[in-house]
Amino acid sequence: MRRYFKFIIPVAILGVLGSFLYKPYHRWAREHVNYITATDDHPPGCTSCHLYLKRTGVISKIVNASYYSPFNLAVSNDGRDLYVVAEEGNALLVVDTEKQRVTHKVEVGNRPHSVILSKGGETAYISNQWSDNVSVVDLATFKVTDTLKTGGGPAGLALSTDGKYLYTANSFSSNLSVIDLSTGTERKRLTAGNNPAGMQINADGSLIFVTSRRTLSAPFGDTIRCEVTIVNDNKQRVVERRDIKSAYMMENIAFTPSGDLAIMTLVRPKNNVPTIQVERGWMMTNGIGIIELKPSGRTVQLLLDEPNAYYADPFDIAITPDGKRAFVSHAGVDCISVIDIEAIRKLIAESTDRALDTFSNHLGISSRFVLKRIPTGANPKGIALSPDGKVLYVAEHLEDRIGVISTERLETIGSIHLGGSGRITVARRGRRLLNNAGHTFQNQYSCYTCHPDAHEDGLVYNMASKDMGRNITNTQSLRNIGDTPPYKWNGKNQTVYKQDGMRFSTVLTRTEAFSYKELDALTAYIMTGIPNPPNLQYNPNGEMTEAQERGKAIFERTHDFKGYEIPVVNRCVTCHPAPYYTNKQMADVGTLALSDDTILFDTPHLNNIFASPPYLHDGRAATLEEIWTLFGKTEQHGSVNDLTKIQLNDLVEYLKSLRDVEYEPKPSQVQKASFSH
Amino acid sequence: MVSCKSKSVKNGMIIVTEAPRNTQTPDFINGESRRYFPGLRISAFKPGKPSSLTVLTEKFYSASTPKISYDGRYMLFAAQQVKNELWQIWEMNLDNLKCRKITSVEGNCTDPDYLPGSRLVFSKLTVNDTVKTAHCLYTCNSDGSDLRQITFSPQTCFATTVLKDGRLLTVNRQIVPNEGDPIFVVMRPDGTKADLFYRGAAGNNLISSAHETSDGKIVFTESEKGNRQPGNLVSISYNRPLHSRINLGSETGVDFYNVLPLRPDNYLVSCRKTDSERFALYEFDPVKKSLGQEVLSDPDYDILDAVLVEKCEKPKKLPSEVDHQVKTGLLLCQDINFINEQMTDNFANAGKSLKIEVLGTDTTYGVVQVEEDGSFYLKVMADIPFRIRTLDEDGKVVNGPCSWLWLRPNERRGCIGCHEDPELAPENRVSLAIKNPPVIIPVHITEVKEKIVELE
Repeated sequence: MRRYFKFIIPVAILGVLGSFLYKPYHRWAREHVNYITATDDHPPGCTSCHLYLKRTGVISKIVNASYYSPFNLAVSNDGRDLYVVAEEGNALLVVDTEKQRVTHKVEVGNRPHSVILSKGGETAYISNQWSDNVSVVDLATFKVTDTLKTGGGPAGLALSTDGKYLYTANSFSSNLSVIDLSTGTERKRLTAGNNPAGMQINADGSLIFVTSRRTLSAPFGDTIRCEVTIVNDNKQRVVERRDIKSAYMMENIAFTPSGDLAIMTLVRPKNNVPTIQVERGWMMTNGIGIIELKPSGRTVQLLLDEPNAYYADPFDIAITPDGKRAFVSHAGVDCISVIDIEAIRKLIAESTDRALDTFSNHLGISSRFVLKRIPTGANPKGIALSPDGKVLYVAEHLEDRIGVISTERLETIGSIHLGGSGRITVARRGRRLLNNAGHTFQNQYSCYTCHPDAHEDGLVYNMASKDMGRNITNTQSLRNIGDTPPYKWNGKNQTVYKQDGMRFSTVLTRTEAFSYKELDALTAYIMTGIPNPPNLQYNPNGEMTEAQERGKAIFERTHDFKGYEIPVVNRCVTCHPAPYYTNKQMADVGTLALSDDTILFDTPHLNNIFASPPYLHDGRAATLEEIWTLFGKTEQHGSVNDLTKIQLNDLVEYLKSLRDVEYEPKPSQVQKASFSH
Repeated sequence: MVSCKSKSVKNGMIIVTEAPRNTQTPDFINGESRRYFPGLRISAFKPGKPSSLTVLTEKFYSASTPKISYDGRYMLFAAQQVKNELWQIWEMNLDNLKCRKITSVEGNCTDPDYLPGSRLVFSKLTVNDTVKTAHCLYTCNSDGSDLRQITFSPQTCFATTVLKDGRLLTVNRQIVPNEGDPIFVVMRPDGTKADLFYRGAAGNNLISSAHETSDGKIVFTESEKGNRQPGNLVSISYNRPLHSRINLGSETGVDFYNVLPLRPDNYLVSCRKTDSERFALYEFDPVKKSLGQEVLSDPDYDILDAVLVEKCEKPKKLPSEVDHQVKTGLLLCQDINFINEQMTDNFANAGKSLKIEVLGTDTTYGVVQVEEDGSFYLKVMADIPFRIRTLDEDGKVVNGPCSWLWLRPNERRGCIGCHEDPELAPENRVSLAIKNPPVIIPVHITEVKEKIVELE
């Protein structure tokens, strides 16, 4: 009996203590979570923040994992091997298609993008988008035999007909490198469209077509245009720049074997239309562009969407050797569209120009040429056909897997696991959510659509709000924003939880909001996992050029060139201190437009700012210079009117050199000074 | 609480509505025939055991239109407890068959369904100057509280289904100024974004509600050219409903009344082979388009409305932009002179419209000049029905009026033009109209004092 009391009394005491403590603890926990998430309904758990948002340390190593993330691929001439670019694995994976496993792993550069094989199949060329070079791999020894310097951000690749030259689409520097393979050096640099990525040589080898992702610079309200750059292979000159209207994100292009058509993937955004509904394609539509390769040939756009179903983020296209069918990967909805090319030819042939113009917005037109939709694993990107055209291989980017599809049966017949981590971490789930359109109404677009590569799409949108013509806003990058709240152009959302919570679903996605688990995953990805590429173009190793040093001095100056002290609030470093070059405060920099509902705007961070035109909250400044030459006259956005043009150039050169924190040795002393004022 | 027989309805059972006499002419205006019909009853049976048929609504004078909750444990239905009483919405606990009354409202109620979340939707006969006499859609909490009307036009709405995407699909028929053909209209559960979903050939009659299958189809029954018989079993694609109609039963020669899709290759259909027979329940193979075995029949009753008792995935719970502190909604049209490629010569050759007139049920709300690009931008008082017709420079009617519209408080809505193909996405351009504040409708109102909502 005594033993019983000895047990029961402490338990009772603990119970009473617990009941006293529970309420205040629960209240504290509720307040704490409300504060941290800036919402009032997030479940009061600990793991969301204290586990999954860890970026460094032991906990981070435990909760996170490494993945290959297959991006593009090529098939050997005999069909026996696949060469898979592992974007996050920084490797080329060689896959035996019969044994269905990885046989070799070749380490290449940083963030490889594309792979192309030499005509005889002895050599593979891999573009390393974050290294600004191309790895040359001997496919007999599986060793990197050479590294070829390119322009900024090499993406798509093409070989000249004679095999002597390699073309790279330099997505960051918006140009093309022509590399002499006999010397390994760049022979020419050709200007391309904005953010070129896809590249293909045509059927007779005379021309190379390069597709761009971002639109050409234009003020809000103008018709957006995206360039297809056409290069003569023989002369290595740009022979035509064709503007594709009302489209962008032209990721890839393919030619029919007969050479009569070039077909590219594209997205048709509705950024000039107020964001008031998603129904009926009022935010984004997705499709293909077709260029008739004949004199006076037309350029046509056809949607792959349907009235109540959208196929977001079309990425790659492959055409069967017999020219009858095309396959398009839709990264946003995990599927492949199968297209009847003959039906497209017929449609174009029998339609007037006016009808074709209407078809570019017609959500029902796909029923005339789409044969089937084949589901795939997460985020299908590059696709490639076997030499006989009977098998389609799909790089399932966020599945670490290659999907295998029978082009005769039009169904998946297998998959090849690449051996990456089999564990799907919370952040990886978040990345899948960001890349999947399942959380917008009828799958019309994903976060990726406006934030490709978790960056920004360069477009300015009419976000509506009180009235429809109001709040013209520039898409912001999602890279490395974990430490730079608040969010939204007017800084109204203190956390990512709030930014992507209920308001997001009410005004943008217009469908069911993310569950708390999904929100946690998305937040984990955004807060921990999205770095900027290294700024190899303007600041490859931290050593600044003379112009950049001069620009830095201007950026950090306390007095103007007339000797007057610049008020602290108007110094660059006050609002833009290192390491993120934002003080995370709201500011009025004299850019308020009549259509703005807010006076103060969130101070953006400036890391890799060179890659984010247009500028200012409504994108009115097409270049960094224009921030001051056109829109800085009131001196509210820094003191600049005493600068000469060369000095302004220096300032801009410095701004272009700004790069991610992880590439910098330590935080600047200037930051401490700016906070102490 | 009203207690029925002390049994339960288990998962996998089928619940049907039975009608004591042949239903020939559905009347969508006042809901006669299978709606509000005397002596209707709801029964349940085990598949394969028709003899197990048990009446669930013995205590009611008449009951119909059952719908099962997403957890498979409850059933909503419309019922009259006694003769001449108003029809109200009830819920039955399928575990113990106990019923509770959800609504106690003026006006007959019918066709309830569960919304994701804790609200319900149903049709209620409404009489007022706005809708005249029509069945409007209402939502309420699961206990009947917080009743909210969500449709506001002189059109009657019946037989509502909740789609997987979270929207409501309802049979809709214009009443004023003249009777229109029934069509399927889709809208969000707050009554916003109401839009045409399906329209059959002129004169066609929609008989049943729509049912969404697991393979992306919408199936229902429809009769042609105003004749009740035969009812066709029709399938359309959810992805492209306006241009995907397939008559599944054309080769069977059977008169269909309703359908319950169980699997992509197996439906249950209420049909009869000849006029003299009662409607009975049969299996139907939509792949082979062939009628299968009889599942349930009753010599004294027509078998209608079959539903399967099972747990199923909840539709998406859509957010709402409605804010009742706001008194207006906004409407943008890109170009009133937009001519669809497929327009007939009459429309294509019509003169250019320079103005619009906004019409109410009995009055005009005013004339508005459109912009040079044909666009207009209106701020319309919420929850009032209106139609728009276009006028030339002399005020003569060029086209219209269009179908009835309404805007919910704080709703923002866009359209391409007056003759838009419903399958067209808008041109990506800035309309001139939004460069100025919206025109308030009715035009005599110069200012609206309301809460200003920042949606973004």
